[in-house]
Amino acid sequence: MSSETTTGSGTTASVNSTADAVERLHIAGLHAPTGAVLSVRDLNVRFNSENGVVHAVRGVDFDLLPGKTLGIVGESGSGKSVTSLAIMGLLPETAEVTGSVRLKGRELLGLSDKAMCEYRGNELAMVFQDPLSSLTPVYTVGTQIIEALTIHNPTMSKQAKEARAVELLAMVGIPSPKDRLKAFPHEFSGGMRQRVMIAIAIANNPRVLIADEPTTALDVTIQAQVLEVLHTAQEETGAAVVMITHDLGVVAGMADDIMVMYAGKPVETGAVDDIYYNPRMPYTMGLLGAVPRVDISEKSSLVPIDGIPPNLLHTPTGCSFAPRCPLATDACLDGEPALAPVSGGALHHAACIKSAALGGDVDVHDIFAAPPVPESRFDAIPREDRATVLQLKDVRKHFPLTKGALMKRRIGTVKAVDGLSFDVREGECFSIVGESGSGKTTTLLEIMEFHKDQDGEVVIGGISNKQAADTKTKNAMRRELQMVFQDPTGALDPRFTVYEVLAEPLQNAGLDRQAIRKRIMELMRLVGLQPDHVNRFPNQFSGGQRQRIGIARALAVNPKLVVLDEPVSALDVSVQAGVINLLDKLRAELGLSYLLVAHDLSVVRHISNRVAVMYLGKIVEMGEVDRVFDNPRHPYTRALLSAIPVPDPHVERTRERIILKGDLPSPLDAPKGCNFATRCPVFAALPAAKQEKCLTLEPPLEAVAPSSAAQALEPAAPAPDQRFACFFPDGELDEDMLVTHDQAEHHAP
Amino acid sequence: MLKYLAKRGITYVVMIFLTTSAGYFLAVSSLKPALLEQERIPRPTPEQVANSMRLKGLDPDLNAWERYVQWLTGVVTRWDWGRSPNGAFINAEFGDRVWISTRLFLASIILTLIIGVALGVYSAARQYKFQDRVITSYSYLAYIVPAPIAYFLVQLGAININETVGNRIFFVTGISTPGMEAGWPQIVDMAAHYAVPTVAITLVGWGAYQIAQRQYLLDNVNADFVRTARAKGLTRNQAIARHALRVSFIPVAQSIAFTIPAIFAGGFFAEKIFAWPGVGSWSIDAISLQDVNAATATLAYGSVIFALGAILADFATTLVDPRVRVQ
Repeated sequence: MSSETTTGSGTTASVNSTADAVERLHIAGLHAPTGAVLSVRDLNVRFNSENGVVHAVRGVDFDLLPGKTLGIVGESGSGKSVTSLAIMGLLPETAEVTGSVRLKGRELLGLSDKAMCEYRGNELAMVFQDPLSSLTPVYTVGTQIIEALTIHNPTMSKQAKEARAVELLAMVGIPSPKDRLKAFPHEFSGGMRQRVMIAIAIANNPRVLIADEPTTALDVTIQAQVLEVLHTAQEETGAAVVMITHDLGVVAGMADDIMVMYAGKPVETGAVDDIYYNPRMPYTMGLLGAVPRVDISEKSSLVPIDGIPPNLLHTPTGCSFAPRCPLATDACLDGEPALAPVSGGALHHAACIKSAALGGDVDVHDIFAAPPVPESRFDAIPREDRATVLQLKDVRKHFPLTKGALMKRRIGTVKAVDGLSFDVREGECFSIVGESGSGKTTTLLEIMEFHKDQDGEVVIGGISNKQAADTKTKNAMRRELQMVFQDPTGALDPRFTVYEVLAEPLQNAGLDRQAIRKRIMELMRLVGLQPDHVNRFPNQFSGGQRQRIGIARALAVNPKLVVLDEPVSALDVSVQAGVINLLDKLRAELGLSYLLVAHDLSVVRHISNRVAVMYLGKIVEMGEVDRVFDNPRHPYTRALLSAIPVPDPHVERTRERIILKGDLPSPLDAPKGCNFATRCPVFAALPAAKQEKCLTLEPPLEAVAPSSAAQALEPAAPAPDQRFACFFPDGELDEDMLVTHDQAEHHAP
Repeated sequence: MLKYLAKRGITYVVMIFLTTSAGYFLAVSSLKPALLEQERIPRPTPEQVANSMRLKGLDPDLNAWERYVQWLTGVVTRWDWGRSPNGAFINAEFGDRVWISTRLFLASIILTLIIGVALGVYSAARQYKFQDRVITSYSYLAYIVPAPIAYFLVQLGAININETVGNRIFFVTGISTPGMEAGWPQIVDMAAHYAVPTVAITLVGWGAYQIAQRQYLLDNVNADFVRTARAKGLTRNQAIARHALRVSFIPVAQSIAFTIPAIFAGGFFAEKIFAWPGVGSWSIDAISLQDVNAATATLAYGSVIFALGAILADFATTLVDPRVRVQ
């Protein structure tokens, strides 16, 4: 951050004249700190839309010093990505961009597309969000890397370029880089493609590297790998990094400075520790409170930020956050507050008239009125005494892999789900976690399938798929079990009103009109929606509200068990918190059981009682959530947990993390023994004799044997609820897969 | 790749055999040339008709299966596709017809493709600008106007030019003037006959390709990978030319391969209006003349051309799209 008082555009009248003077100096470049590689001053972006001019970015200022990392954080629609595209000059021609962007003192705004090409990909590079669509499908990876080199080094020889491309691929951790040059993007996994994107971005040793949500589309273990690659890339090139993300965990360990954006404006800026440990703007506090923590077992409700970000067609007349801020008073509506220095951090600024009062030990849960932790009547009953609502016994789903068009030959078997057994009791939340491809969704589909020809037994509310699976039993089963889907927009028919969506399951259940009407009103109130909105269509609701409609639809027939397939992964953190709190409340009030599938382990930890970790179709560890998360025994569970970034800069900087090598292997290549052996950090460090055991024998899922000391002390103590499938849970971890970021690199600025 | 194409080839041979056989049974059971013969004046006796038919291998007394076996044996052993009720040999007539169709359509197909795709790219690069609006409106007009009317309009235009100049520059119908001396005058005569149908078919045909190419390119102009290419330091136009164009050509390449057979086998409007007696008009005539063998032959020709088109489509797609390349 610059050492000046940076000001936004909407300053109040009293400071306007001085602000203008400072502004002019900034634009002249006189006040920029010497050595700033990128200075942005009063950046404004306006788009013409059918409804009028959308003022998407409203006065962004920042300075980026060489080798430093700036994290830009905010919800979707806060203007983060538009800011980065404006700096790169990649916005559509219709966008109106004003202000000043200087790269090493040279003004970039107003340059023609051709003139900008001098800088793009050379001194200024960018990594985009979706690696699957960001590479041209019809060219080899090598061609695309070499193209980046050719554009800026026309004289470079072909051999030199090829050598450099191999070097880059090796740097971003792609095995056998020389051969992979000739591969096409579709032959790479998502994580690998993002590595290629990073290789392209750093090809010409950029001074500034902008990463726009580089890991949002990736699995946690792959996210950890890619963040590590970005870290290496920054070290190798010495580039300054702008890291754009909505995930406060991702930037906690990487960033030196943070800029929190809301409604197109920075609302709080400062060193990373100032923002995380001493937030002074209610929005920042809300964002931090909305994120569930994977490393803390203490049960407290999340902080939801009600409402939605403002529509930027009209310039806010007061604080843009005021409509959602629980602390807002009339004074907040009088003019938009400018960023003002905050006592404490030297460079800490917040745009809130109450920032002085928010320091110290103000608890975010009090400000945002987080609901009390709901208590279920089942909490007091021991688990063994509760009824079982769902039981799976040795369920398998194998897909034959065939070759040939006319004569199908079986060349292998994909064991998507391989012998799953677990049960869900009344009033509990059971979660399944794992990477994509581990078989989570197939498990859900097997449960929903409920057919007597299935391999293995599924018992739902006492009804087994083996006994009778005719339409009538199936209908009875459906009343016991309902599902909430990942994408709330795709799961609701856009031509059905909410009333019709909710009435459908009730009509199927044979209720009359009066009863249906009454039940729908009940449901709307239950999920926190206004009952008079029943005649609206799904597109008139926000994403969080749509997910609430999905939950109401699932609850319509009073099921005992609700299957939740990634219910919050498509939602912003602030909205996600509200939905999670709602799920928590419903479970307690209605005595529901949940079967939750999620890849976000923080959410899982927050909401569930028991958890199963899946890897390549098998459960590798299962048990009570706090036991598994606090004392993971299986190396895969340890790696998964280690991959989750924690929104706490100190923890992030110092902790040791396990970076798994490579992607989830194809289920075809599953080894005979332990599935995880190919990526296992313990296996890699084992002596050959012990490795043999892992490779030949399949470890069974067994309970933790209580230590002899504990047994001696309390012989009747029941075995703790934790089982895992590993021969050497206490084995040393392989040094190569452990990474600790050097504290010295991250000296606080 | 070769192995893959060979495999596809065998599949198509089986399919062609099946469609042709099915076509033969349909034709033989519904087309009765003997009835037409009976309408002649003086009216022949049924015995005379049956006798003449039997001589041409069209014995009306045999049942469908017997005639099919007879016909198939001829085709397989002697490559003899039989005779028409008027006594003409299908093989001889077929060769002439295919050659005429090919000459009529080949030049215009190539022109249609080049102009259509080029204009599609040009108009996509200038989306919503004046040029784009003019070109795309024209293409939709070409879609809407029935082909025969458009052909007539071109003919009228050519006649108009002839009248204005006062000399017959263009021939609006026919293939060539008989009895031209070889060399230069023959070439000029050929060009004068070719010009009008080629221009007419091209003018009507390119619209579809222009619209498709424009649409597919626009879908890709704002694709993420084009943005990546720009972030590398290519200008917008360079990024579109190098990255979006080839991707957008994948679906167009497929549709091209499939429309070629349709034009070849089904261009009877053009053949009739410009009086080029090709395969298209022959197939219609065959049905009205109750000509079983000719109808089947044109159907078989259509299937072959379609199979070639499909293989061409596969080939074109694998050429431009590495994702479908077989290992």
